[in-house]
Amino acid sequence: MRAFSRLALAFLVLAACDTAGRVIVWGLALPVPGTVVGILILLAAIVALRRVPEPLKEMAEFLLAHLNFFYIPAGVGVMAYAALLADDLWPILIALFASTFLAMFAAGLAFQVVARFTGGKGDGA
Amino acid sequence: MSDIGIKLIYWDRVLEAGFWILLTLFFYYLALRIQRALGGTPLANPVLLASAPIIALLSAADIWVGDYQMGGQALIWLLGPATVGLAVPLYRNFARVRSALVPMAVSLVAGSVVAVLSAVIIGDAMGASLETVRSLAPKSVTTPIAMGIAEEIGGYASLTAAFVIITGIIGAVFGAMFFNFCRISDARARGFAMGIAAHGIGTARAFQEDEVSGTFSGVAMALNGIVTALVLPLLWLAFAG
Repeated sequence: MRAFSRLALAFLVLAACDTAGRVIVWGLALPVPGTVVGILILLAAIVALRRVPEPLKEMAEFLLAHLNFFYIPAGVGVMAYAALLADDLWPILIALFASTFLAMFAAGLAFQVVARFTGGKGDGA
Repeated sequence: MSDIGIKLIYWDRVLEAGFWILLTLFFYYLALRIQRALGGTPLANPVLLASAPIIALLSAADIWVGDYQMGGQALIWLLGPATVGLAVPLYRNFARVRSALVPMAVSLVAGSVVAVLSAVIIGDAMGASLETVRSLAPKSVTTPIAMGIAEEIGGYASLTAAFVIITGIIGAVFGAMFFNFCRISDARARGFAMGIAAHGIGTARAFQEDEVSGTFSGVAMALNGIVTALVLPLLWLAFAG
């Protein structure tokens, strides 16, 4: 039960950082997603603590491992636009496929080539 | 509460939302089982495998997506806290990320420019309508930002939301194969490129592969969202009027 309440507390910390981030972004009218500010808030807190509390580590890793789950409603949501998509179906599909591959190629190649010149750990996993 | 005639909690709604969440959980579990049975292949993407049967079910039963989203909204809200968890691997890999600032900056510029321009040019060349092309432009960044940009440049925010999800699934499903094909083997480069091209759904996949890829993907997703939001509307004004 103690382990459970600690995990629940860890979740509340994550939710609090997210909410704080959203409030800050809204209040200061920043052109950044609130969740990104939430990440920075939590990162600053961890840096100040100099370690990641075990329940927080467990909760964060659990949620990140199952990040896909939270995107399912967005996937289902695509069905609402089926009629709109059908209008330009082939141009849309070709543009999305080609552009996603081109972006991955440009970003991946640029990173790998520049990393080779600037050194740093290769991590060729 | 009924004595004052005001209902504070609509229990039937809560129950319905709970039902949709449980159904989503069930199909997610099934999708994970299938993916594991197939050796963890990215081709068996959990978002795709779980949302397809839910869409089929809703269509077959003639249920409005909005009803499903009563539960879906709760999960979409949970995406925020789940994403904040990125701070943990980011802290653990801080030295690794800091030592790659230059490759990250170059990759960010190259990737974000190519993601936007190629979508616009190809969509236009294929004969898509102007509204569709405008809605295509921000498709590689995370949904809330992409929708904002689409509105700013005269696209349909809701159409963009659909493009963002489809893009994420394409990247997550084919990314690893494509990186192998292009000989992009550095785990940092693979993760970073995934986050730029395929935002959160790509990042979810990257975390299924390894923590280094996942971390770089998360950083790329955040940076690309910011850069695209700042630069794309200006570029659009400059070139497309």
